[in-house]
Formats: sequence, C-alpha cells, structure tokens
Amino acid sequence: MMPDMTQHGKAEVEEWKPVSNTPVILFDRVSKTYGRINALGGVSLGISGGVTGILGMNGAGKSTLFKLMMGKVKPSSGAIRLFGTDPWKNSAPYSRVGFVPEHEKLYDWMTAFDFITTFARLHGMTREEASKEATRVLSFVSLDDVMHKKIGQFSKGMRQRVKIAHALVNDPELIILDEPLQGCDPLARTTIMNVIKQLGAMGRTVLVSSHILHEIERITEQIVILHRGRVLALGNSHAIREMLDQHPHKIVIDCENPRELSKDFVDLDEVTGISFSNPNKLLIETKHLGEIHKKLPEIIVQSNQLVTGIDNPDDDLQSILMYLTGGSL
Amino acid sequence: MSTKMDTIWSKLDRKSTAIAEFTMRQYRTRISTWVVLGAATVAIFLMLLFYIEAMNTEIEAIDNDGDGLINEDDIDWDNLQDGVNYVGEDDDGDCENLDTTSQRDGNNNKNECDVLIIVDTLNGTTYIYPDANVDEDPDEDKYGKEAGHRAFILGIGKFGIVYLLGIFLPLFLATGLIREEMSDGTIHYMLAKPIARGEVLLYRMLGYIGLTWPYILGLCGLMCLITGFTGPGDGIFRWSDIGVWMTIAWAAMLVSLVYGTIFCAFGIIWKNGVILAILFAAWELGMAFVAILSGGDSPIRYFSVIGWGMIIVDSGVAICWPDNWQLIQSGLWGGGQGTENFLGEPEYVPLPGAEPLDVFSGSPNLGTSSWLSLIISTLVLVFQGIMSWFVGQSIFKGKEVD
Repeated sequence: MMPDMTQHGKAEVEEWKPVSNTPVILFDRVSKTYGRINALGGVSLGISGGVTGILGMNGAGKSTLFKLMMGKVKPSSGAIRLFGTDPWKNSAPYSRVGFVPEHEKLYDWMTAFDFITTFARLHGMTREEASKEATRVLSFVSLDDVMHKKIGQFSKGMRQRVKIAHALVNDPELIILDEPLQGCDPLARTTIMNVIKQLGAMGRTVLVSSHILHEIERITEQIVILHRGRVLALGNSHAIREMLDQHPHKIVIDCENPRELSKDFVDLDEVTGISFSNPNKLLIETKHLGEIHKKLPEIIVQSNQLVTGIDNPDDDLQSILMYLTGGSL
Repeated sequence: MSTKMDTIWSKLDRKSTAIAEFTMRQYRTRISTWVVLGAATVAIFLMLLFYIEAMNTEIEAIDNDGDGLINEDDIDWDNLQDGVNYVGEDDDGDCENLDTTSQRDGNNNKNECDVLIIVDTLNGTTYIYPDANVDEDPDEDKYGKEAGHRAFILGIGKFGIVYLLGIFLPLFLATGLIREEMSDGTIHYMLAKPIARGEVLLYRMLGYIGLTWPYILGLCGLMCLITGFTGPGDGIFRWSDIGVWMTIAWAAMLVSLVYGTIFCAFGIIWKNGVILAILFAAWELGMAFVAILSGGDSPIRYFSVIGWGMIIVDSGVAICWPDNWQLIQSGLWGGGQGTENFLGEPEYVPLPGAEPLDVFSGSPNLGTSSWLSLIISTLVLVFQGIMSWFVGQSIFKGKEVD
C-alpha cells in the first residue's frame, strides 16, 4: 500500500454537494431480482420537478422502485443516481429527500411531536431547531392540535399524516410517498391530497405511488405506469385519460326493464354495443365513458324507470393495462 | 439549569444523542426490559440471602491438634512479602517443649518453631514449610468467614455478574436492537435520514450501554455496600472489597458491550439471530468454566470474551487482596492436620471456605504485573468490541432492508 503523501488522511470529509445538471432521480436500465422473482426489469427513468404518480397493481414493482431510490436495496444491474449520487453507497443525498414508507408500523409509544423531533435531529439539528421544525411540519399536515398525543391513539389517516410530516423535516427537495392514501378515510384522503398538491406547487419533486388511477389523477400531471417490473407508459395524465376513453368501456345499469331502457341508448353515437347479461341488467359498451356519464342522468329520468345501480365493472387501471398490454394481464 | 444542560448536549454529536436517547426511551416503554432487569436483580439478591445467612452462622470450632483446647494456636501470618518469610507463632508452646533442636526445626531453616513461607505472587502460589506443632489449631470461624466472604464475592462476581448478567442482558436487550426494527419496518424511518448505517449501529449500542452500564454499576455498588457491612473484619466496612467490586463491574460492563455488539450483528445477519447468540453463549459458558476452574492456567480462554473478563477480576483481586493466595494456601494446609495418601504425600484437611475460595480465585497469568494485566485485558475487550462493531456495520451496510 502506498503511503498517503498528502497526509490529509481520510478524516477530512468534504460536505456533500449535489451534482447539478442531472435529474433528481435517474434510473439507467435498472433491474432487481429477488431470487428467481424479477421485481424490476430494465427500468430507465429520469424525474425532476413536479408531482409524478407511479401507478401499478400490487406487485408491479412500485415499492421496489422506491426502495432502490432510497438505497434500501441494491440493484441487480444498472445504475441509480439520486441527485447525482449512488444512494446504495452514500446516505448523504437523503438530507434532501423525504421518504414515506408503505409500512404502517410506527412508534406508538411516542407522541407525534417527539417522533418528529427525534428524527429531525438525525439531520443534525439541535433540540430547539428540531422542535421548531416539528411544529412547522405538523401544522402543515394539520395535526398541530394533537401533536402531543401518543401516536398509538391516532387513526390510520392521522398516522399516515405523521409519516408524511416526518418526511418533510429539513424541507426536502424530493418527497417520495409509497401508497400514502391506502386505508385512509375520505377526510384524511383530501388532506393528504391537498398536502401533495401544495408540495408540488412549492416546486418540490414529489413521487406518489398508488394502484388506483382516479386517486393519482386528482393530484398529478405526470404518470408512470408500471407493470410486472417494467415501465409500460409514461406521460401526462390527460393523455392517459384520453387513451383510456378511447378504449371500450362497460357500464352496467340495474333497472326494472333493461330492454325498454336500451332503446334510449341505441341512437347514441358513443354507444358501440348493448347486451343483457341478466333480466335486470343492461350492459352498455362505449369508447367515450365521460360523454355517456354526462347524458346518463337525463336518459334515466326520461325513461321513468327505477334504476337501482350504475357501475363501471372495469377497474380503470385494469382496463388501461389490458389496453396497453394488448389484452394479456 | 436547562440552558446549561442544552449547551452540554449540543456540544455532543446531535445524531448520536438523538438515537441513543431514543433507544433508551424505547427500552423504557418495553415490559421485557423491566422483566429482564428485575429477574436479574431478584436472582442476585436471592444469592445474597444465602451469603448473609452464612455470615451470621457460627462455624463450629474443631480441636485440630487434639489437646482438648480449641483455637489456641491460630495461623498468624499477616503482611507476607514476596519471597521468603519466617512467620508463625507457637502460641500454645507445644513446639518449644519438644526435646531436640531437630524436632523444633523440622524445616531446617535454623529458626526453631516457625513456619517458612515462600510466596510467588506472579504465579499466585505459596509454599508452606512448617516446624512441628506451630499454627496447628487455627480458628475455623475466623478463617471460614473470611474465605467464605471472598469466595462469595468472586463466585457471584465472576459467574453471576460477569458471565450470566454479561450474557443475558445483551441476549435480551441487544439482539433485537436492529433486527426488531427491521421486522417491524420501522428501520425505514431511521435509514431514510442522512446517517450511515454504521453510525446507526454505533448509536444504538450507545443507547444500550446507557441502560445496561448504570444498571451493572448500581447492582455492584449495592452488593459492595451490603457485603461490605455484613462481611467479617475489624472495621465497620471492608474498604479493600471496593476495588474488587469495581473490577467485577468493569469486567461485566466490557463483556456485556462486546456480547451486545456481537449479538446485535447476529440479529442483522439472520432473523433468528438469537439462535446464533445462544450457540455463542454456550461456547462462552464453556470458556467461563475453563477460565474459572483452571485458575488462570488455560491459554484457550484467550480465544473468548469471558476469559479476558475473568482476567480483569483476577487482576483486581491481586491488587486489592494481595494476601488472597496465602489465605487459600494456609486454609488448604489447615494447620498441618491430615493423613498421608498411598504415595506418602500429605493430605491435609482444609479449613472451611478454603476450597470454594480456591475454585473461584484465579491468577491473571499474563506474566506481568497486576495493573498491567488489568490494562491489557481491558484493551483486549475494547478491541474485541471495536472489531465486532466493524464487522457488524459492514454486514449491515450490505444488508438489503425490505
């Protein structure tokens, strides 16, 4: 081994600086396998700024993608850069990242305030700075009135907000939320969605994963669709919505006399097919779901029939995946 | 007050105090912590009850020389020097009354009616060559209490505190330090912060010793007080025991730190890391027996953690009770009463307490002074701790956290 002629030694650690002129997140042909299971196969992505929704069914590789970004797991091949740094080898970029894991377990014995201050101190803050920061982020997620209560007493939506608040200390530039809306009541859902929108408006890069399209649609302009570990589509939510609308959809109407009701739909241009799956059900096929839904109330009122239910049997995501994969899920 | 505390705290590394403090609070909320500490305390204090009972029971005196009088010719060799000593007093005069010089000077050292003692402190041995009928009827009660007291301290100290506490505290309190967080998924909160995994391990260990070290110190301090006042001796309190208790506490602290780091690493390697920890504990139990029963003669104890812990205690004994080997040897000699075996070698009847004290005493046997042995064994344990941390953190670094 050569002696260190400069005599600087290894002790002198320079402050970590992000590499400029590079996307916040860069995936270059990244694959990840667990044994024989291929969780992610050759994903290339570059994300900077704005709110991006990662959409995919359970097991599509959303969590694996996030774990790779956060350096929790090592890629089997390919390269990942977080602010230009390999997250598996260096924890320094985490100072600019807030991560909300999907795991529900929290430290139930701590108060929300204690939890946030403790983890804020891992950013190198003093106690005072950490308390100030905790108060700020907890009021940002509207938990300021219960912040001195134990997390164990919180509802699922409140716990989800505590996790988000914990990720927001140190004002990160990138916020990663793994299924933040899962299991939340409608009120918490709205609050969390507003928080995410607000973060996007503040110029932060936000990544949100979900398996429900209309949730993602309400908060993001960019969508990445992940299926079986591959990026299936990447684009603007309007484009995806349009694509979805072009694709045949089914509407099921429960009514007294489906044959009678069907007459009102036959004349519509948007309707491509009508069938009767059982004596009380009318099945309408359309490529313009939105248009039909606009006309539906009027038709029903005019028909004077008792309609007990209207349903879209295709899950949005499933149908979009069917369309994109050409029918093989 | 609070501002002063704040300045002290802020001078320390903020991340380390955050995690260490968090770890200690986490321990506090767990019932298992209190069960482990409570059970250990109860077990140790139960042993203490037997000790107190023994100290308050008089040991029956025996007329060792068969002259109808008891305890009239006690062993009298305080303050022996390293090397050759001429001691012993013919209290009852039955040596002086012997007919010839050759009878009065059986050990041929040209002094009549004495005991020639050669002390070898370094190797912890003492050779006794007595003239006939000198120191032949020792005081069993006085000797038994002293030897029993020391045997209790060393027995409970070496086996109960250094080994059992040293292994059980980390088994229950350190094995899950990282593993439990990994299986709960809560490790994600810690690892999502700008902190290296090696640091997380180090600061978690800091929190662990923040709980266990004060506990060990408190327990040993309490034991020292109780045995110091109850134990035999001329003064109210046995001051010389303090140093021995301090080395017992020190050994237990270092040993529990090394075991803790190793067990925590086992927990990182495998979700059933506690199995590896128990296997390791079994090896260490064997080594504890080797170290205790060999009295410091077996080099295999160097390949263990507990062996070095025992050397710390043995060094403490050598420093604080320099007469320990003489006490053992004189007790085993027991005034020279006994029989001969078939080879014609004398088999003495030991005084009460001499054999247990002999079992639990050991020699540091590092071929150097007691103080240096204490320092060397401390350094070895610290080195073992650092190495365990180093290996543990490199395993942790390469571990994928799901």
